[in-house]
Amino acid sequence: MLEVKLHDIGEGMTEGEIVNYFVKEGDSVSTDQPLVEVQTDKMVAELPSPGKGTVKEIVVPVGETVQVGTTLLYIEGVGAKQPEQSEPELVKATSETKGLQNRRIQTKVNRVLATPYTRKIARDHNVDIEQVTASDPSGRVTEEDVYQFINGTTTDSEPKQTEPTKPVTLELNAINQTEQETIPFRGIRKTIANKMTQSIYTIPHVTHFDEMNMTRLFQIREQLKQTGDNISIPAFLLKALVITLKDFPVFNAQLDEENEQIILKKQYHIGLASDTKDGLIVPVLHDVDRKSLRQIHSDMKAITEKAQNGNLEPQLLKGSTFTMSNVGPLGSTGATPIINYPETALIAFHKTRKLPIYNEQDEIVPGYMMNVSMSFDHRVADGATAVAFTNRLNELIENPNKLMLELV
Amino acid sequence: MVVGEITEERDLVVIGGGPGGYTAAIRAAQLGLNVSLVEQSDLGGICLNEGCIPSKVWTYASKKINEISHMQNLGVGVDSSNTVDLNQLQQYKSQVTTQLRKGVESLLKTNQIEVIQGTATFTGEQRIGVENGHQFDHYIYKNAIIATGSQAVKPNYFPINSEKAFLAEKVFQIEETPEHLVVSGFDYLALEVASVFHSFGTKVTLVTNDDDSSLDADLIKELKRLYKKKKIHIVNQATINLIDETEQGITVNISKDGEEQQIEATHCYVSGERKPNIDSLGLERLGVRLTETGHVAVDHQMKTSTPNIYAIGDLTEGEPLAVKAIKQGKVAAEAVAGENPEADLTFLPFIAHTNPPIASVGLTEQQAQANEIHYKVGQFNLGANGYALITGKRDGFVKVISDANTDIILGVHMIGEGAVEMSSHFVQLLEMAAKTEDLTFPHYAHPSMNEGLVEAVEALVGQSIHTPPKKQKQSKVFEKTV
Repeated sequence: MLEVKLHDIGEGMTEGEIVNYFVKEGDSVSTDQPLVEVQTDKMVAELPSPGKGTVKEIVVPVGETVQVGTTLLYIEGVGAKQPEQSEPELVKATSETKGLQNRRIQTKVNRVLATPYTRKIARDHNVDIEQVTASDPSGRVTEEDVYQFINGTTTDSEPKQTEPTKPVTLELNAINQTEQETIPFRGIRKTIANKMTQSIYTIPHVTHFDEMNMTRLFQIREQLKQTGDNISIPAFLLKALVITLKDFPVFNAQLDEENEQIILKKQYHIGLASDTKDGLIVPVLHDVDRKSLRQIHSDMKAITEKAQNGNLEPQLLKGSTFTMSNVGPLGSTGATPIINYPETALIAFHKTRKLPIYNEQDEIVPGYMMNVSMSFDHRVADGATAVAFTNRLNELIENPNKLMLELV
Repeated sequence: MVVGEITEERDLVVIGGGPGGYTAAIRAAQLGLNVSLVEQSDLGGICLNEGCIPSKVWTYASKKINEISHMQNLGVGVDSSNTVDLNQLQQYKSQVTTQLRKGVESLLKTNQIEVIQGTATFTGEQRIGVENGHQFDHYIYKNAIIATGSQAVKPNYFPINSEKAFLAEKVFQIEETPEHLVVSGFDYLALEVASVFHSFGTKVTLVTNDDDSSLDADLIKELKRLYKKKKIHIVNQATINLIDETEQGITVNISKDGEEQQIEATHCYVSGERKPNIDSLGLERLGVRLTETGHVAVDHQMKTSTPNIYAIGDLTEGEPLAVKAIKQGKVAAEAVAGENPEADLTFLPFIAHTNPPIASVGLTEQQAQANEIHYKVGQFNLGANGYALITGKRDGFVKVISDANTDIILGVHMIGEGAVEMSSHFVQLLEMAAKTEDLTFPHYAHPSMNEGLVEAVEALVGQSIHTPPKKQKQSKVFEKTV
């Protein structure tokens, strides 16, 4: 019988949620056939079958989140039952057993520091102690660290602190009995938290606001629609954005403090901040500068859909050079967005409102106005440059015909 | 019912009654399992009957011979000259091994473990056949632990059917004290054999290539210095091409520095490589996977690739030592019983009962350098230890290596009296991830060899009490080159 365990699929994952099984108990499976779909904090992955046989038992139900190393299901008929089929000399180490042997030899230097008792606690909780972060700066993993790892960083201990001691007054007692519930702080939530903290504590943020008249853009969109081309407003915004970025390369850049240089990126991979049911995810649209409006429109649609369904491939989550947050459809007229570290800037497009505005003939006419908020790294650029950037963007959006001048 | 067909099912069958196998059997019985143990020869295995135990009888005798001259300094009456009666030593060895073997037999019996005499072969899933002379019986098991050990393989250059050339533990069956013994190898057994026969009055030539040794370089240097002082001749960076038996004795043909040389001797000893005893087990029938080195592949609970089959000891990768087999035996038995143990060989101690003995655990200075660790060394020479002076065992040192950034001790290496008994202290401090203060805070018996450890740790910060100021500089800090 073979155990199929959740293994680290990449990027140092520690746990995963079982999304779906492709097989059921009793099914015959062949080598490399997908068995189960697992959601990690970054992506959805499929685990293939390590061998041939019959699914004997599925251990972990769909929807449950388990640690790396947990057995998910058992396959019968691999190995023991087919010795005749194997080569007479079975002198081959599996990557698993070989890995174990190798690990033993390496660990003289690399083995995590922990007492045998602490190791046992980890083992008994099915935790790979090598994955536990030590709170001791010299790297010793303590019992406390292991328990912390097991419980995630949920506020398990906090309810204990609020346990009513002797109530002083009735009112106090009532406060103490206030109900509370806890949400697990891990997965995407924790990844977002770590990224935001890193960004806000590293980058001196400045956010400036501007407003843009969308009226002409809306007109163009309508005209195109009538001729059969349905291009969304965000696609236009993205196009205009990349043109502007080319004029102001300092915002499509990354500060490399160690080597004392600012790296100006020549690729235009734009992150599209997306709200999903699990939280903020930033899929990346690659090489936007080489794409037509039509292409941008359809790519954006596809990538947003994947983000919503949680089946983004890992490469669609990497490499962004600038991030755009089209928060408008959700509402809001302003924000101070946090930059997607290590990028230099981020722009948010807010709700478009129909407002009375003056036209060139000083008449009050209805117009469509949209606010933008742009956050940038003040180490890399100054306010005047950022204003020049939004001015240029404004020019392209308010006069969308000018986009034509930028055709290559 | 067919004759020889056994219907009773065992929870566990252990194959091999060496230190790993019988330990596994007893632990499994303690945990409530129904256990049978198959042994083809003597209980206790090579270790008890031919290897570890007999060799320690010899090293103990050798240690005592070395003490005779010192006893005379103390006025303790010793008439005997520095010689040994090999016949009597052999008898004593037999007494010791017999008594220990009976002890094992009795323990197995009181733990209600059935001992089956014979050679085991897997005949199918959950079935094992045991051959004993004309008899062949089948047994059914739920789990099996394989602990069949290893044997030394004769190198190509080794003479066939020579009574003057000895392979590995066979040397302890020798009946006469050799006049001139060539010892080949730098493993613990070769070092012990050189040490033992030298003290028995034999001229010893050690042919070795210590570049292959993983011991700390300072330790090797000190051992070689002491061997040379005793006039053990060391031929280093040499390889043996052929060993010929002659009328006078033996001729060992070696290559050194690209030149052929011949050493004339009366006897020779070779450690040889050890090969797992798996040929007759029929493991291929069960699909048990082997590693590239031909050992049985196992995980941290000694599970093989085949469900319900475990392998321990010399069959698995790593040093072929009883200390490893014993721990793995316990782990395998506990895993069979449903517990969650782990065998981790990171801090497996290297022990040699030489004169003086060696104990080495953890990172050597060379390994620290190779891994670019920013480290410190503290060393204390036992010459300045009070108890070493009393006992006349002033040779050797304790050397401690620590991480200069975190202050955590990474390795302890000792050559000197008491090293073997102190080794558990070294292993423990490493497993507990101790720092300097963790070792300087406790008390150390005075006078005792234990003080060597605390002085070496104190030397990490230049504060060894019994080391003069200018020699404190022995502690050095390796700066990583950036």
